[in-house]
Amino acid sequence: MTGAAEGRIRLTILGGFLGSGKTTWLRHQLHAGAYAHAVVMVNEAAETPVDDALLGRSDRLVVLAGGCCCCVGRDRLVAALRLLCDERSRDGSPADRFDGIVLETSGLADPAAIVEAIRADPVLVHHIVVAEIVVTVDALHGIAELRGEPLGRRQIEAATRLVVTKVDAAEPAGIARLLATLKTLNPDAPVEATARGSAIDLPDLPPAEAEDLPDLAGAASAPIFPIRIELGEDVDWTAFTVWLSALLHARGDDVMRAKGVVRTPAGRLLLQSVRKVVQRPEILPPQPDREDDTIVLIGRGYTEEQIRASLDYFVRAGRR
Amino acid sequence: MCASCGFPAAPSHWTEAGAAEPHDRLRSRFRRSQVLRAVLPSYGLSAHDGGVVPGIQLSSLTGGETIVPNLEDLWVAAERMCGRAVDPLDPRFTGTARS
Repeated sequence: MTGAAEGRIRLTILGGFLGSGKTTWLRHQLHAGAYAHAVVMVNEAAETPVDDALLGRSDRLVVLAGGCCCCVGRDRLVAALRLLCDERSRDGSPADRFDGIVLETSGLADPAAIVEAIRADPVLVHHIVVAEIVVTVDALHGIAELRGEPLGRRQIEAATRLVVTKVDAAEPAGIARLLATLKTLNPDAPVEATARGSAIDLPDLPPAEAEDLPDLAGAASAPIFPIRIELGEDVDWTAFTVWLSALLHARGDDVMRAKGVVRTPAGRLLLQSVRKVVQRPEILPPQPDREDDTIVLIGRGYTEEQIRASLDYFVRAGRR
Repeated sequence: MCASCGFPAAPSHWTEAGAAEPHDRLRSRFRRSQVLRAVLPSYGLSAHDGGVVPGIQLSSLTGGETIVPNLEDLWVAAERMCGRAVDPLDPRFTGTARS
């Protein structure tokens, strides 16, 4: 019996490492008409949500910002899901009801911990069935993340469906190696290839061996944390990009993700980077009610004070 | 390819996305030079962009000279010329050297 037939709400969990393409994939799915009557929930580790600006096509959008929902934001997630369950039970006609929930997790979330939280909750366990755990894997950086991040491996292991993203930008040998490695971590999950969110056929791949992943059990790594930087009136785009491009060149392996919306003379720019790769900024339509000029950096190996002092130095350069 | 300078026409770099109009682009290039002139000398490097020809001229105290098309290539060239990466989190920029 399916979840819908039982009357339980089907929950799709969308996970994947920082910058692996979760929002891009979901945005394309919504554009193609999937999840049309579902509630989309977006969780972000940082205080300032960015992804919701991109998901305007969804029927209903709930944003859970300021804390990853598999750990510190867990209570908030449970409360939000309970509210949805309540509402659905109260709504009379089946036509008005939403037919599922899509939860886009933060890049720092372990999907298994979310499933655990739902199972452990006395209300949710009766109302929600986890239909699918979709995990996106970056074809460019996937191997590096699996080598160094225990969390990256847990996300793959939890998936019921793997989506390899940015396939158009990666070398066939690298893709083949990544696919072989994914097979060893999660042999069951079907794997799809996508580029900019839409499914594509894999190129001809050479034979490849799985990456020999180091044992990370005893390795201590500094925690990954988000920093929110408000770009005040005095911060100009040019000085900011000189700073950010230098930072990503020198510290691209530590600054795992940068994202935000910045107002410039050319319009509102959506800025996104994953390690050293910066996506060409997308110009967003005006949205007067949104808080812009804020950048979120997610990474490790530095302090918030260092980041702020350094940006300040670059912005004041030549103006002293 | 530009007939005057030989630079192939490339899609503009992400750092240049903030200026759509020609006057904004020129202003942005001058500002970029201003910031680079404050940052690079302590690494023994200097940058010049007069706004006339495309690219940024990067030179070192030891006589090295190159022209780079954008900031991303500039940091790669700077690292090659001075032997280490220009790190914005270095104490000389974060102020912790003085304390």
